Amino acid sequence: MVPFWWNCTHVLEFRRRWLLDHVKSGPLRDYLMTPVPSRRRPLDSLDFMALDLETTGLDAKRDEIISVGMVEMRKCRINLETSSHLLVNPQKEIPEESVILHGVTDDISKTGATLEEIMPRLLDALTGKVLVAHYARLEVTFLQAACRRLYGYPLVVPVVDTLRLESKRLKAGNRYPKAGDLRLDAVRMRYNLPRYRAHNALSDALSAAELFLAQVSHRAASGRMLTLGDLLR
Amino acid sequence: MEIELIEILEFLTSCPPFDILPEEVRQTLPATIHIRYARRGAEIMAPGDALDTLQIIRTGAVEIYQQNGHLITRLDEGTIFGAQTILRGGTAVSRAEAIEDTLIYQLSATVFQNLCRDHAEFRDYFGPVGADRLRSAVQRAENGQESSFGLMASLVVEHISRKPVCMSPDASVKEAARLMTDAKVSSILLVEEGGSDLVGILTDQDLRTRVVAEGVSLEAPVRTVMSQSPTTISAHRTAFDAMLIMAQHNQHHLPVHRAGKIIGVVSPHGLLQNQCTSVIFMVSEINKQRNVQGLVEVCTQIPQLLVSLSDSGTTAQSISHAITVVTDTVTRRLLRIAERIMGPAPVPFAWAAAGSQARDEQTIQSDQDHCLLIDDSYVKSKHGQYFRDLARFVTDGLNACGFVYCPGDAMATNPQWRQPVRTWRRMFRHWITEPTPKAVMLCSIFFDLKFIEGDEQLFWAFRECVLNNTGSNRIFLAHLAANALRNQPPVGFFRNFVLIDGGEHDDTLNLKKNGVIPIVDLARVYSLERGIHAVNTKGRLQKARDEGMLSPRGARDLLDALEFINLTRIRHQAKQLRIGADPNNYFSPKELSHFERDHLKDAFLIVQTMQSSLEQRYQVSRFL
Repeated sequence: MVPFWWNCTHVLEFRRRWLLDHVKSGPLRDYLMTPVPSRRRPLDSLDFMALDLETTGLDAKRDEIISVGMVEMRKCRINLETSSHLLVNPQKEIPEESVILHGVTDDISKTGATLEEIMPRLLDALTGKVLVAHYARLEVTFLQAACRRLYGYPLVVPVVDTLRLESKRLKAGNRYPKAGDLRLDAVRMRYNLPRYRAHNALSDALSAAELFLAQVSHRAASGRMLTLGDLLR
Repeated sequence: MEIELIEILEFLTSCPPFDILPEEVRQTLPATIHIRYARRGAEIMAPGDALDTLQIIRTGAVEIYQQNGHLITRLDEGTIFGAQTILRGGTAVSRAEAIEDTLIYQLSATVFQNLCRDHAEFRDYFGPVGADRLRSAVQRAENGQESSFGLMASLVVEHISRKPVCMSPDASVKEAARLMTDAKVSSILLVEEGGSDLVGILTDQDLRTRVVAEGVSLEAPVRTVMSQSPTTISAHRTAFDAMLIMAQHNQHHLPVHRAGKIIGVVSPHGLLQNQCTSVIFMVSEINKQRNVQGLVEVCTQIPQLLVSLSDSGTTAQSISHAITVVTDTVTRRLLRIAERIMGPAPVPFAWAAAGSQARDEQTIQSDQDHCLLIDDSYVKSKHGQYFRDLARFVTDGLNACGFVYCPGDAMATNPQWRQPVRTWRRMFRHWITEPTPKAVMLCSIFFDLKFIEGDEQLFWAFRECVLNNTGSNRIFLAHLAANALRNQPPVGFFRNFVLIDGGEHDDTLNLKKNGVIPIVDLARVYSLERGIHAVNTKGRLQKARDEGMLSPRGARDLLDALEFINLTRIRHQAKQLRIGADPNNYFSPKELSHFERDHLKDAFLIVQTMQSSLEQRYQVSRFL
């Protein structure tokens, strides 16, 4: 489905152009029309999208997305006007342990749209932006799975993981994080960020966005203009 | 609204003035907010920046600086900044820096302006700050007491409702009674035929006690029953002074003179008010006492006097004046008692109060400050003993009455401050020509002098001579100005601390040292430059304004600052007295309300501004 060199190159633009040749129509093609932001671009000039997904479990093959929280950042400012919280109506019943975790019950979910209806909105919001998430692997695998399932091809998007940034920062200072040190709440506390009680896709996306601003602000203290490449490295 | 933004809504609700917005309006706000983060040390706003959002501190702390680098304020969680900038047009004039890692919520200027337009209460929160806000607070306090003590601060002339009723002292008692009845007055002034000099007064009470009760003929001339040469009062003195004179002379009708002419009579009827009655009562009680023990007993009521004056909403200026009047009367009484015991003084002298008593600015825990000026005919070997004993007696008496000994020994018991006038003159000349730090400190005590008892001529001749020498000496004035800059007001408050310039903080605030004294010192420098006679700080500032040394606005702002700081201080002391604690000048910021914090900050800013203008005027730095 993807060429043999797919995993050998980190140059997302190569992947995008290849996909553009193969994806003939639909929301994914619309998304792919916009170039991927270059690694050399300074952070100030980029748009970011903090994303958080609530899912029925951790296995992207079997489990489903039940809600999406998105918070947009432009010029290192969070913009709540464009933030959104989308509920997805899953095909299967939501397992009980997942309900306890994020409070989204079957009844609430029924009010949501199908993933097929939601993905175009999500892709549209993400166009030309850099995705930000705390422990981004979960978000990325679920998004990729959804794209492959719905459109037959994967997604190409630059991703900044706030957990990885923090882990690298600690290691650079010769501190090795213990279990729990990298949890979103624990990391936020170190940056003097407020404690949010609620846990849902939107408030977690907001939490990740604020953390991202804090991390960038502290990295910028070194004086040199930061580029996207600095965060992806 | 997304339910998840409820935490932002809850936070906004906890920040005044967002709490006063209607719920449905407030709910629309979270979705319009932008969020930024500033790490510790990062600049958030610089002079000249175009500001298009209101800044609300979510976590962390921010310092605001003037362009010249002076710290204006330090803000913490839940406080707002940038409102004035937006309302002024959007260009920042100050610099903001994060002093902790700070998360800021930003509300767009358009949304903010719409809120201000639609919600008056919300807008009022961002109303005038600084001197204007303080002005309205002081005015509110002043208006609140129109009915009580305000009257007593009014001038005697305002209480004269009619021309005086006069007749010749040669008229008969019957004619006098007839005229008084026709004119509906309770007193009549007696003026020699063809002259204008007041020779006596006849009152209703006199007709009862001296005519009817004594069986004097109704045809007898008034001259035989009138009170001769009654005490008079100048038209520009206060109603309060009039009441005092009545109490001191046991005379209930006081002729009022202006430019040597009698223009009317005032009586207690028109003047009497509860608040001052208690002071008047104390003064008359003090004057009745024949020994120290009696005075001590009367003085136990002073704390109660302060509490009741404070409760009645009297201005700080009037309360301090009332307390000082009591101190003056006790001092005078002690001197009389001493004279009775020790006999009359061998040579003329003047007992003078210094410091806060001289300025009519005492509060409850003021210490003694006074000195003795003795006539130049003084010979130490012959007269020294008398004045030493006199000073000892009065000073011990005052201490027993609750006016504690001066910790700096600026009292007449100290031989240095009990000198013939020629020595005093030499001392002042020395201080002025060679202003060492110690000399300047002494000047700040002994330049505030008030005559209490003894030979008034002696006092004024000396005072005049001193005042004539100060104004011309720029170096002395520069030193005095430097001394006036020694005590700086704090910048404001931060969380539960007092914020001092340079960013240090303290957990208590001394409103006397860092609030009142800087203003008193400023007023003294200005008054000495022009040889202004006034000693009271308000009087000095008004005179300095009239002489053009202070702008009308600068003078008014300083007076407002002084009044507000003193009022806060006196109310604090009254509160301590009420719960049985020893009154002091120390505050913990925790005790201050939002209102008091905001207004004290305005007052401090005024003092700072005036201190820098003093610094420039006298070019203080060149002399230090």
